[in-house]
Amino acid sequence: MSSIESFLKNAVTPWMGPKGEYSNIVMSTRVRLARNLKGSRFPLDFSREEAGEVEQKVAAALEGMEDFSHIQMETVPAIQRQALVEKHLISPQLADPERPGSVILSGDESVSIMVNEEDHIRIQVIYPGLHLMEAFDRANDIDNRLEESLPYAFDGDFGYITSCPTNTGTGLRASVMLHLPALSITSNMARITQAVARLGMTVRGSYGEGSDALGNVYQVSNQITLGKSERDILMDLRDLTERLIEQEERARRALREHSQMKLEDRIWRSFGILTNARVLATDEAANRLSDLRLGIDMGIIPDVDVSVLNELMIFMQPAFLQQYAGETLQPGERDVFRAKLIRERIGMGRQSGGGED
Amino acid sequence: MICDNCHERPASVVVTQSKNGKTEERHLCDVCAAHFQPFQGDFGGDPLGIQQFLQNWFAGPGAFQNTAQPQVNSGPECPNCGLTFRRFIERGKFGCAECYGAFRKELPEVFNKVQGGHTKHEGKVPATYSGRIAAERKIKDLRRQMKEAINQEEFERAAQLRDEVRELERSLEEGGGQDVVD
Repeated sequence: MSSIESFLKNAVTPWMGPKGEYSNIVMSTRVRLARNLKGSRFPLDFSREEAGEVEQKVAAALEGMEDFSHIQMETVPAIQRQALVEKHLISPQLADPERPGSVILSGDESVSIMVNEEDHIRIQVIYPGLHLMEAFDRANDIDNRLEESLPYAFDGDFGYITSCPTNTGTGLRASVMLHLPALSITSNMARITQAVARLGMTVRGSYGEGSDALGNVYQVSNQITLGKSERDILMDLRDLTERLIEQEERARRALREHSQMKLEDRIWRSFGILTNARVLATDEAANRLSDLRLGIDMGIIPDVDVSVLNELMIFMQPAFLQQYAGETLQPGERDVFRAKLIRERIGMGRQSGGGED
Repeated sequence: MICDNCHERPASVVVTQSKNGKTEERHLCDVCAAHFQPFQGDFGGDPLGIQQFLQNWFAGPGAFQNTAQPQVNSGPECPNCGLTFRRFIERGKFGCAECYGAFRKELPEVFNKVQGGHTKHEGKVPATYSGRIAAERKIKDLRRQMKEAINQEEFERAAQLRDEVRELERSLEEGGGQDVVD
């Protein structure tokens, strides 16, 4: 009944684990397929009755698929909805309390099927590290399965029909979440954002806006969904991601060669703040955690497990923090609670990682 | 306390936002808070503001040039949901699957703008469509190969390919396709 509890119990989901290719720079891979059904208007315009019909059809199509939980959004309290958004399991739009909708989550949280978001169906798969093909294959399997019993809206010229013309065709949006601190420190992100746009792809801050990405976490995704096959879209994104990884690694080497002491100082200062501060606001915490992650990647900070940082990036967000605290926290209280949580978790991570030094 | 945004519902969420070193606090109701989540990048939203992209459609030259009153012309209307082409351009979203058919003539230009010059689907095809479409693609591909064979004076191979094309075309006319292409 309260299956949602299990999805909110832990901040760490499997996609945040330390596994995956290039997992020091690529935090996660996400693939999304947008699909719609013939006969019902799209969610922007449809009636409650149509919403209910779509809902039932999708639920029936997934009947017998094990280990999936179907959660009606209207049964979920606001704070828990936001926590699901913070965990990237649903979109902010699906969390809107004035709209109908539901999410079907796999037990391992790598698959979330959003029903009646902007499109009738959005199949989303998130994997740790760089795994575009694998994530697509999983989404594609589910798509094939749904297609067997659902009347998909498809057009011979334009492909899969979607609510927004920016998704028409494959309905595929693939994105890679990258931690690019060295490119940010060396002021290269504005240049890169422009160059990427010319390739028909976008770079955005994963948390926050534009080039001021909170915690230096960026999301690179395909912009074009029409006129290219799924494989081509994924291969192009993979190529671009590999080039960004290469540039980030080059920038890290340059930092080490030209400003080793300044870099070490910055990283250890951040470590000092994270392990001692009594009040930490979200943006400061995110940026200090980015420094710490860079320090771990570059071997400057020993004995801290990167997965602890992945967990903290989710946990320190407002709804999750309150979920964890078990009570509503005012912003001032939240900053205190956040500082305490980070202090304790990094301390624990260090002990389990190799003891005190 | 009343919500700072809608000034209607009671505030239940406090949102803090830091900008240029200044911290701003807003008390919101859960409805408005759902729309206001600065910490979350929108995971699935439009990569570019499509409305912005398309908003000059009716104002610009080229579109509906031959109509006498471009200001009142709303373009075609979807027979299923009633969305007009003009309204579609204004809001950047279709109303239903039938809109695609209703706007079929106008859509290539729309996709040309928002899809980097692409107007035709090249990706996955659902199984129910795949017989016919796969056969059509195969025919296109065989024809290309046939041309190559002729150019290289491999006439025997060209004849073979021609026979394959004919067989596929015949099966398409008979409404099949599934059996020929696997």
